Amino acid sequence: MSDLDRAIEQLRACRLIPESQVRELCYKARELLIEEGNVVSVDAPVTICGDIHGQFHDLMELFRVGGDVPDTNYLFMGDFVDRGFYSLESFLLLLCLKVRYPDRITLIRGNHESRQITTVYGFYDECIRKYGSANVWRYCCEVFDYLALGAIVLGASSELEPSNTALPSMPIDDSELETEVLNSRGEVTMSTYRARQRSSSDASTDSRNISPPRDISAAPGQAAAPSRSGAPGTGASGDGNGSATTSRTGAVLCVHGGLSPLIDSVDKIRLIDRKQEVPHEGAMCDLLWSDPDEIEGWGLSPRGAGFLFGGDIVKQFNHLNGLSLVARAHQLVMEGYKEMFDGGIVTVWSAPNYCYRCGNVAAILELGEDSSGGGTVARSNGEYGRSNGIVTDNRVVSPGRRYRVFEAAAQDTRGMPAKKPVADYFL
Amino acid sequence: MASHIPNLNTLRRGRGRGRGIGRTEETGLPGLPSGKDRIVQGTDNDASVSRLSAVELGYLEDAYAAALTPAGAATRRLPIINRGTYARTTAIDQLVARFLGPSSAENTHKKQIISLGAGSDTRVFRLLSSRQTPDFVYHELDFAVNTAEKIRAIRSAPVLQSALGIDSSGVSSEKDTRVTVSEAGDALHSPSYHVHPVDLRSLSTCSDPAGALPGVETGLPTLLISECCLVYLSPLEANQVVAFFTQRLFGHGNPVPGPGDILQAAQPNVAPLGLILYEPIRPNDAFGRTMVSNLAARGIQLKTLPTYASLEAQRGRFQDQGFGDGQAAADIEFIWKRWVNEDEKERVAGLEMLDEMEEWQLLARHYCIAWGWRDRHDTPAFAGWKDLEGQQGE
Repeated sequence: MSDLDRAIEQLRACRLIPESQVRELCYKARELLIEEGNVVSVDAPVTICGDIHGQFHDLMELFRVGGDVPDTNYLFMGDFVDRGFYSLESFLLLLCLKVRYPDRITLIRGNHESRQITTVYGFYDECIRKYGSANVWRYCCEVFDYLALGAIVLGASSELEPSNTALPSMPIDDSELETEVLNSRGEVTMSTYRARQRSSSDASTDSRNISPPRDISAAPGQAAAPSRSGAPGTGASGDGNGSATTSRTGAVLCVHGGLSPLIDSVDKIRLIDRKQEVPHEGAMCDLLWSDPDEIEGWGLSPRGAGFLFGGDIVKQFNHLNGLSLVARAHQLVMEGYKEMFDGGIVTVWSAPNYCYRCGNVAAILELGEDSSGGGTVARSNGEYGRSNGIVTDNRVVSPGRRYRVFEAAAQDTRGMPAKKPVADYFL
Repeated sequence: MASHIPNLNTLRRGRGRGRGIGRTEETGLPGLPSGKDRIVQGTDNDASVSRLSAVELGYLEDAYAAALTPAGAATRRLPIINRGTYARTTAIDQLVARFLGPSSAENTHKKQIISLGAGSDTRVFRLLSSRQTPDFVYHELDFAVNTAEKIRAIRSAPVLQSALGIDSSGVSSEKDTRVTVSEAGDALHSPSYHVHPVDLRSLSTCSDPAGALPGVETGLPTLLISECCLVYLSPLEANQVVAFFTQRLFGHGNPVPGPGDILQAAQPNVAPLGLILYEPIRPNDAFGRTMVSNLAARGIQLKTLPTYASLEAQRGRFQDQGFGDGQAAADIEFIWKRWVNEDEKERVAGLEMLDEMEEWQLLARHYCIAWGWRDRHDTPAFAGWKDLEGQQGE
């Protein structure tokens, strides 16, 4: 067993590794990350995750629900640290996994991966508390500077293979499974279908913009189906036999926050000099700080950094870049995920009971692999449909989306010290 | 019996300071509060630490916050907690200021404030130092352990003494001879400020209402404040505490008018009385359920919360308890949005980067300020509350 494997084993048990090992790990991680572009290309199948915020036990629950590395290909959209009590264990484990399985896990930068923010929101204090000096914090911050700013997921399938074979796999011959929501026991709690694509232009949109079921923990009428379809994340659907036509599934852009008024194409993200502390303004800041909102155009963000952007902005950006979806994190959503703007953007939030206080559930998003057309059609990679400005109705189809929703880990049952973190209230 | 002390400063060395020491000495002795009560008393630390954090970061100005926070307890709170402390404090300040009216020589209408479960609250010191003339009497009620702690703090902090008009130079002046502290060190009486060691639950059974709270003037327009205090009592106990004031100490606030009577005529001698509540709300959604269970894990039970779970229930509570002239409530998010002006919002938002927008909304929607009053219609004391914006709906 290599040192790295030993470190992974130790961190999985929520035990820290020595400072010297952290330094070495961070050095290796930097070597690896420096080779990555600002926008990493990731092939489906992939499981997309949102904020973790040092909730180590919930990260373990995420791996239980989503499958382990390297079996599952993961993309984490930042905010690994701050707020929770185990930022170090969480981030160092993810970093070890990155170094050990570089092609099976992608880490992009969140607004909390910053020197300034970590001194306010807990990571700095945690490093001092657990290592007795700021050295480890400094090593980690150097890694933060090298993290990619975004990722493009290519080759995702437009259709999901239903998880629940016990149920009639949906009656309508001419429809395909577009989204599916599963609880942490693998039970389907919601499905939506859309008309099968006969041509690229008749995409039905009536099943878009789904909202999560009210009570996700209860699987209405489906309690007898605990079976999970194959290993999660290994290609949520994989099988493309059913496709009547080759789906033109657009690429999916993943960023932590959102869009920027200074960025009208994915290529512009590639031009940013990212290897620095997150600036207070500008394109790099916006990508990590912005939020979608029910407005038109751009608006000021109440966070004091980044912008608010409306559905028109998302639609135009997706169209110009041949994208079918923007996946982002950054905002707590009580149901774990939230699609907006006709499904043009989704927020994925992966920290259940955020700060041990909010009572929310978490979610991860699985995109399956499109094996139907050799996987080349959809490789727009930001180039698709951009060659001429004319809208040719080459509408891209959004990928099939499987959300796995999960609740906070019960700490006491996992052999971890049952030290209950205390959340602040006004008393 | 109250002992006469010419100079509080000379007693500084008398007893050890700090909550920890006081608590340890006193726990386990007969006649002292149960474990649950001690946990509730301890919640005061939370409030004082949060207040000091907000003061040190510039959210609030409060020269007395440090002196009334246990030594070594200072902790920087997260931005949402600081903003919440700010919104809560300034909202109650505003209600209090509108009740007291402008501080000037012309304003000769003396008023009275009674703070329930006051703990380490600094409001009285801020009011005494900011108002030109001592045009009010301020009473604080709390468990004896908490009042003794506060009086110890006053004895050891010249800044608090000077706010009370006590000369801390060691030279006895005319003014401070009027300050007395009980032998047990848990009661303090002065012309404008009284500290009463009392378990609120005992008030409903006391035979002599006026004797229970010496110094209370039952003819004065009076404001009751409960900042996270009544919420720890059972709904019945909480109602009995309020009824003690509305019905027994300050006369019946809700008389049944006789035939032909109009309400004003039926209560000509009843003192105007108002109540401000600050407490958690909405326990039944995901955040609320988590809050209730997290606090239960700390041994804290918010006993009236299920009964007064909504803004509507809070307004109804005021109506039911005899505050017939006005009832209003607003959650902290509403207060922040509507009561804080844009310039001030910008100033506060600039103090710290608040990344937790969604969490802020969640948290702020789970605390409310509710206020209600009964007035005398010839010389109203709560006219200034009428144009304060409450929040409609649940």
